[in-house]
Amino acid sequence: MTAVTLASPGAAVRYAPPIETELERLVAALGAIPALAERYPLRWLAVQLLEGDEHLLAEAEGLGGPAVTAALAASRERLAPHYGEDLDVALVDQRYRFVHTLARQALTRPAAPPLTLSDRIDRVVTHRWLGIPIFLALMWVVFKLTTDVAAPFVDWVDATLSGPVSGWATALLGAAGLGGSWLESLLVDGVIAGVGGVLVFVPVLLALYFALALLEDSGYMARAAFVMDRLMHALGLHGKSFLPMVVGFGCSVPAIYATRTLDSRRDRILTGLLVPFMSCSARLPVYVLIAAIFFPAQAGLVIFGLYLTGIVVAIVIGMLLRRTLFRNQPPAPFVLELPPYRLPTPRGVWRQMWERTAAFLRKATTIILATSIVVWLLLALPVRGGGRFADTPVEQSAFAALSGAVAPVFAPLGFGGWETSGALLTGFVAKEVVVSTLGQTYAVAELEEAAEAAPTNFGEDLLGIAGGLVSATGDALQVLPGVIGITLETPEEETALEGLAAAVRAGFEASSGGHGALAALAFLVFVLLYTPCMTAVAAARHEFGSRWMWVSIVGQFVVAWLAALLVFQGGRLLGW
Amino acid sequence: MSVSEVTLDQLARNQNAVVRRIGGDREFRRRLLAMGLVPGEQVILTAVAPLGDPIEVTVKGYRLSLRKEEARLVVVERA
Repeated sequence: MTAVTLASPGAAVRYAPPIETELERLVAALGAIPALAERYPLRWLAVQLLEGDEHLLAEAEGLGGPAVTAALAASRERLAPHYGEDLDVALVDQRYRFVHTLARQALTRPAAPPLTLSDRIDRVVTHRWLGIPIFLALMWVVFKLTTDVAAPFVDWVDATLSGPVSGWATALLGAAGLGGSWLESLLVDGVIAGVGGVLVFVPVLLALYFALALLEDSGYMARAAFVMDRLMHALGLHGKSFLPMVVGFGCSVPAIYATRTLDSRRDRILTGLLVPFMSCSARLPVYVLIAAIFFPAQAGLVIFGLYLTGIVVAIVIGMLLRRTLFRNQPPAPFVLELPPYRLPTPRGVWRQMWERTAAFLRKATTIILATSIVVWLLLALPVRGGGRFADTPVEQSAFAALSGAVAPVFAPLGFGGWETSGALLTGFVAKEVVVSTLGQTYAVAELEEAAEAAPTNFGEDLLGIAGGLVSATGDALQVLPGVIGITLETPEEETALEGLAAAVRAGFEASSGGHGALAALAFLVFVLLYTPCMTAVAAARHEFGSRWMWVSIVGQFVVAWLAALLVFQGGRLLGW
Repeated sequence: MSVSEVTLDQLARNQNAVVRRIGGDREFRRRLLAMGLVPGEQVILTAVAPLGDPIEVTVKGYRLSLRKEEARLVVVERA
């Protein structure tokens, strides 16, 4: 390759003389306006304005007033005899000619481009019949990676924190003479539980970002948009909207940030509003728990049905939004480069995995930790009965009073008990807290007993943690063949939670007037659709502004309430 | 439109053509120009997505994908 020496970096691109003359005039005219001269490189601004960039023109006119309009109109008029309506074409063409001249000096290209490996891969991957099955298979692998493969590690993190780590904290406090105090309760039930709520996400997110990094860095993501655009366009979205939607099955937060890959604001907001209907992985533990209690034989089917319901609701809401809030905004054009395939580098993949997961940890830790402590505090504060601080029956706590106050909202849906409304309240802050709150509201006593069981020493604990990691890796590896072999496994039944199961069952039966299973189904649909967690809401505000954040918060609550009402009251009408 | 002029979406697979004009609104035209669909440029329709839309063309040695409704705004002359 030969290096090309440019005479002067500032004068790299030269346009034809008539254009250069007008550019000079424009630069002089624009330079006379300080507000513009400070803000923009003037030659660049002049080129953009001549080319017809309407957004930039509006900005320049706003800063510079009618002088800009007049100068531009005069230049255009003088150029009209040379280029007519095609001034923009001439500018682009001359730029490309310049690039071409440089490239010819530096590059030798074969006369007929050879059929590259990239082309051969494309022939298969975008094949008429194979394209969509390959796409769906890859999405399935991503989904399984973030669920089944990550699950053993999630369990390991959870077991480590609730077992040995809680044990150490208790032992340390006991040695300091604070055993059984409110401080121990705060540390174990508030802080460690809160940190656990964040850390259990790490394996899931690492798996998700691993898959995404492979798809993006290899170049497949553009093909996915190419293959899916017809379908997504029919839904009023963009082929690129599919990526945030898939990410949404992992977590709404990165999914909302992933809408940045879309070019038009309309597509970004529309996609961002629909993303939370994709059932995020934090909701999965709720499904697993409730489905295992009420529908043990069809748990897999119920969970799969919920995911499907989310997709259908997103489609329906998308159509509604397109005809209402987005009525005057046509879809953006689909103009997308399909880059050559590249082999992702381990370093690049790891960096994306780590940076994105770390960003989540930074954003989520404070919020989730704070909620855990607030919930602990509400649970610790006695408002009735004779309990002391940090030693009060849950039904006499401040938390029960608050939950009871909002419970009537959920009564028509079949789950008007304070225990479930309390879980939904904390679920606004983070969906994964729903299960732990249910555990606290229904069965605090049992869980505490479990934590105190089986005294061990520090060394045994460390061995246990290491052994747990090894067996988690083993479990994850065992799941891998299933990822490729497409088998839907039913979730394992939680034997440790039998006490909780009985309490939850009794609670739903009582709040629904004997239609416990139906109320549980309505509860699951509600959890699927209602207001996304606080972190996702914060992401939506960051990306789309406060107005759209409120649309998301209120809109989804209403949608979820109506859908759960339909399930419960509809089911009862059908005689369930 | 002369006899050999068609719109980009009407090309057969692997057919060569030369870009003549780009219609649509100014923003769309700027976008396509920036992506290299400049009048006088050679294009080949290289692929069609499994569901029949969008299409993929090779221009300036790289692959560009666009919807048929957008390709209809690009007038080309069959080689």
